[in-house]
Amino acid sequence: MKAYRGKFSPGSLALNCFGGLTLLFLSGPLIVVGIMSFSAGSGLEFPPPGWSMQWYEQLFASAQWSSAVKNSLLVGGVSSVVALVLGGLAAYGLARATFKGRGAIFAFFLAPLIIPPIVTAVALFLIFTRYGLRNSILGITIGHVVIITPYVVLLLVVAFQSFDGKLELMARSLGATWFTSFRIVVLPMLIPSLLAAWLIAIVVSFDEVIVTIFVAGSQPTVPKLMFSQLRDRIDPTVSALSTILVLVTILAMLVAWVVMKSSQNSRKAVAGVMAGQAATKEIG
Amino acid sequence: MTDRSSFLDGPLSLSKGPRGWRRLRLPRGFIFIVPLLVFLAVTFGVPLVGVVMRSLGSSEGISLKYFNEVIQTQAYWKIMLNTFRVSALVTLMTCLIGYPLAYWISRLNRTAQIIAVTLVILPFWTSVLVRTYAWIIILGNRGLVNETLLKSGLIDEPMSLVFNETGVAIGMIHVLMPFLVLPLLAVMIGVDQRLVLVAKSLGARPWAAFWRVYFPLTFPALAAGAILVLILSLGFYVTPALLGGGRVPMIATVLDTLINRMPRWEIASALSIILLGCSLILFALYRRLDGVFK
Repeated sequence: MKAYRGKFSPGSLALNCFGGLTLLFLSGPLIVVGIMSFSAGSGLEFPPPGWSMQWYEQLFASAQWSSAVKNSLLVGGVSSVVALVLGGLAAYGLARATFKGRGAIFAFFLAPLIIPPIVTAVALFLIFTRYGLRNSILGITIGHVVIITPYVVLLLVVAFQSFDGKLELMARSLGATWFTSFRIVVLPMLIPSLLAAWLIAIVVSFDEVIVTIFVAGSQPTVPKLMFSQLRDRIDPTVSALSTILVLVTILAMLVAWVVMKSSQNSRKAVAGVMAGQAATKEIG
Repeated sequence: MTDRSSFLDGPLSLSKGPRGWRRLRLPRGFIFIVPLLVFLAVTFGVPLVGVVMRSLGSSEGISLKYFNEVIQTQAYWKIMLNTFRVSALVTLMTCLIGYPLAYWISRLNRTAQIIAVTLVILPFWTSVLVRTYAWIIILGNRGLVNETLLKSGLIDEPMSLVFNETGVAIGMIHVLMPFLVLPLLAVMIGVDQRLVLVAKSLGARPWAAFWRVYFPLTFPALAAGAILVLILSLGFYVTPALLGGGRVPMIATVLDTLINRMPRWEIASALSIILLGCSLILFALYRRLDGVFK
């Protein structure tokens, strides 16, 4: 490709500067948060007047934050497992389905990603209010399953489709029951994809803001507490928490990536994630 | 023995049963879909239908009066127009920055490309709250930008960059950039550079070769990405709520007010349905463009 590249010119220099600055615009804010978390000041001055670990100490000492983390872990753990089981079965079925209307069902499963999350939040708020599920951990968990299952389905449909169905057919023809062939042949080959889907589901659940703040009532979860702090009264404890969240997210994505790369169908799976990411991640 | 079409249904298939069961056999793969289908029907389908019913005022007889109220009240019009204006501005800026960025990344060597893509994806997977917080620090009156400009003497007093529309736009562009850049990059890497080279060898100046050969090849991807960005920005809640300082009303933040403070749930439902309708129309357009392009 090098041969095709233009010679050094003011134009390419300008493009390089522009590209570098834009990357700084995209990733710089995360670095700023990291630096801020070690600030010795109590305001939001940047650069910080001095260095300390006070915000981390306050964060770990805070009962409010620790109960929020507990709730978020509980919700994330339960909802990601439920999403993995429901979404995994559905993806297995969809990958093998030939009946008419499977496209429509697939679209329905992905709908929570396409519909603005605020609309889902309003819908769940109204129905949970009627049935007394608002202001409950169960309600938040159900909301999260709705939001995260599409990711699982999207990822695993790709994984199941690229999995060679003949292997399963062979196992069955050699006398294995459906369950045995699933357990011995299908499952082991899909473990990397399942693990990646599970991690992504947890990350998405942990970050889910909009449905959570509409449904959670007075139940504290990490995003809810962060949201109200950012709206009402910012203190740098948030930057300590943010830094930890960024690091944990990077770690989770790294593990998901490594796991998927090691799997047999890595290319397709990674492509699937990329495509999924592009069309999906719930946001602002 | 089982035949090819039924083996995957395994023990759940009824094909081996007595004669009468055969007719009841479900389509292949369907049984695995049922649990999620039921779950989402109850937790997603029913609530959405509930919103539609409420927007039509189902308890007191179906009518369009809430939609009428939304359409006839100037305040709601203003909010909808404002949402579209901010979204269009953000989409335009995202395209103007994202297209050259994707182009630049597509021309880097492999190692630099991986680093650049990582730097695009990293904020993508970071909580939107963390990023919003970062912008409050950077753009605030005593933040990075203002302090730097004050110290360098370029300005005498801090500029208001946050808790207004500027802050919301910056925050939204930051969140939306990867949605444009990543698909666009995938297409740009696939473009055959020889086409541009051929144009140049036939006498086109570099700019003309780019504009008349390269740009038309990547335009469908840019258009699809722009529509995606527009759809997403219409529903934004967190960024306008936190970076807008209450001065940038958008549909989603007004929904919050109508649900949690006013409360006027029927109006909120009608507004939700309008937002949903706009998103779905744009999404249909996106699918079309995406399909045309593939």
